[in-house]
Amino acid sequence: MHGMINKSIEDLVTIQFGADKWEAVKKKAGVTETAFVSNQSYPDAMTYGLVGAATEVLGLTADQVLYAFGEFWVTHTAFKGYGDMLMSAGRTIGEFLDYLPLFHTRVALIFPNLKPPRFECSDRHENGITLHYFSDRPGLSMVVVGMLNGISKLYKTPAVVTHTKFKDKGADHDEFLVNWGAADQK
Amino acid sequence: MTDSAPMLDHGQFSKLFPFHFIVDADMRVIDTGSVLARVCPKIVPGALINDHFLLFRLASEPIKAFNRDFIARQENTLFVFKSTSTDLMLRCQVLILRDPERYLFLGSPWVRNPTELKALHLVLQDFALHDSTVDLLQLVQATSTSLHDAKQLSEKLEQRVADRTAELSMANAELSRVMRSKDDFLSAMSHELRTPLNAILGLSESLAEGVYGDMNTKQVKSINTIAESGHHLLALINDLLDIAKIGAGKMELELTKANVEDLCQASLRFVMEQAQKQKINLKLVMDNQSVMLTADERRLKQILVNLLSNAVKFTPNGGSVTLETKCDLESESLMFSVRDTGIGIATEDLKRLFSPFTQLDSKLSRQYAGTGLGLTLVMKLVELHGGSVAVESEIGKGSCFTVRIPCKGLDTLNQHNPSGTISLTEITPAETLPSNTPLILVADDNEINLMTVTDYLRANKLRVIQARDGLEAVKMVREHIPSLVLMDIQMPLMDGLDAIAHLRADDKHTDMPIIALTSRAMVGDRERCIAVGANDYLSKPVNMKQLVKTIRAHLPNDETL
Repeated sequence: MHGMINKSIEDLVTIQFGADKWEAVKKKAGVTETAFVSNQSYPDAMTYGLVGAATEVLGLTADQVLYAFGEFWVTHTAFKGYGDMLMSAGRTIGEFLDYLPLFHTRVALIFPNLKPPRFECSDRHENGITLHYFSDRPGLSMVVVGMLNGISKLYKTPAVVTHTKFKDKGADHDEFLVNWGAADQK
Repeated sequence: MTDSAPMLDHGQFSKLFPFHFIVDADMRVIDTGSVLARVCPKIVPGALINDHFLLFRLASEPIKAFNRDFIARQENTLFVFKSTSTDLMLRCQVLILRDPERYLFLGSPWVRNPTELKALHLVLQDFALHDSTVDLLQLVQATSTSLHDAKQLSEKLEQRVADRTAELSMANAELSRVMRSKDDFLSAMSHELRTPLNAILGLSESLAEGVYGDMNTKQVKSINTIAESGHHLLALINDLLDIAKIGAGKMELELTKANVEDLCQASLRFVMEQAQKQKINLKLVMDNQSVMLTADERRLKQILVNLLSNAVKFTPNGGSVTLETKCDLESESLMFSVRDTGIGIATEDLKRLFSPFTQLDSKLSRQYAGTGLGLTLVMKLVELHGGSVAVESEIGKGSCFTVRIPCKGLDTLNQHNPSGTISLTEITPAETLPSNTPLILVADDNEINLMTVTDYLRANKLRVIQARDGLEAVKMVREHIPSLVLMDIQMPLMDGLDAIAHLRADDKHTDMPIIALTSRAMVGDRERCIAVGANDYLSKPVNMKQLVKTIRAHLPNDETL
């Protein structure tokens, strides 16, 4: 898993719940890293372990943690590390989401040791888009929902995200409808 | 273009090259790419390109008025244009087209980080997909983020190291404080424990000698038990303090050249009384009788006495204990072996032999008194000398403890010296101090007192000879003419008072200073001693500093050092 994901979990827990909680999460997950480096690859099991430990330490459900993490990833961690790049990805939420597949293609090109998820866009229209999410990593669709809400906040464009296809219920991938109404302005 | 080359319409061409522009031979704009037109709206067909772009060459001033001839000459080089109205820089390749003559510039903005994109009002979609600029920007951003993370990680690690160092410093400071407290405690306890113990031992001795009246058998037995226990306790305290001192690195060796034979004799004398009681044959075997050794004499004697005491203690009546010395020229060391015909030690017990408070068989603890610290102390003292201790033993046959003490220059020091077994009766103490050093005769029948006083006086640069009863004292005074006599009063064969009287009766010894030393602390003792001819009187337990002070006060001025 991309180091930025773990870093984001660390930032989320530390900023919103306190450093002692983060130390408790790390201890519970058996993680000994002092800090994570964004573009380094870490074992997926470590990330799942951190999420699992966070649910226990913080008293939240896995979905709550994953959603919070997804949103936080966009608004804080990714914004902090890739803010200019993120904001250059589109003038509007629509342009941004349309660029998302290409962004991940480029991540895979730059970091061949990482295994980013794949996105596709369809049904583009003025106030919405359908986003298709393909990943071999199970159970992370709530992260995507959180991220989409984060992007909506980043572009100051209120949006409604609807999870329409579920891989864990038999579909070949997850699908999300993102609608932002008429307020798409930036 | 060949016939097989694809023909692109303006839209397709602009999609592939959104920042291109075409000029004619007069450098007037014919066409621009869609994104360039948006970013630089004044570059319209008919405009003179020189008005909107400066041409940069490496390491030179910008070229304002470039023309067709200049461009034609530079066809195979990279063109870098700088917008005169914005921060946009374009890196381009030129293609010269014929019929009509035109110049096609293909390229993309030169941006080094995503922040510059923002300043130019460009987004990633403005770049053609085949343009690697965006990939490079993403790579630059990722690298920059990684560097930032690595720096943060480094800072965190530095902080952890600093925190840990601070913790360790605090722990060290606390440890030092505790160690100081421990040393202070030991020092205080040493004083506090020894003071009442001196009184216990002194009064026990006085009681046993009948100073306070006669006692019945039970009382004598009890007072002897008190005295024995007191001596045991004193030995224990001394050993504990020595071990604590070594542990705290506070024991410093007083290295001097020591005569090994003297050292062995003195050590053997200490156990002689007990050996005689047990009818144990004591032997000293030396391969070289004149060998000298640089060591702390007092501590080396402590090592040998400890080993010899153990050997005597664990050897049955009628056995033998041998102290053997051997020069090992190869390792430049001196070996002291204490061999006995005692009860021996099982192989499995040898490992824990040098651990504190270890007596190998609890039954032995009752049968053979000991502090349990002797061998620990031996090991530590030997290590302090840079040496080692080895032990060989067999149950029922005996043990042999060998101490190796490094001794540099052994080969040159000890050539042509005889070797042999020495009978203890032949032993005479030899002095290593200069012959003009004051010579003190110490007369005392108690071996511990004799050894303690002798050691202390020698440590204070005085030569010492010893006598164990009054008769021997008179004989030695006549033979050696000492500078001063330290005379114990209670002694066998002839007591101190008679010995003083004999000496004073001889004209040769009327002026010789004699200090009476006795455990009698009764009214009139002093007067009796002075009356028979003693110059001064000290009562036991004597303060060693006071003893030396008194001795020096009585020595003729030209003999004091």
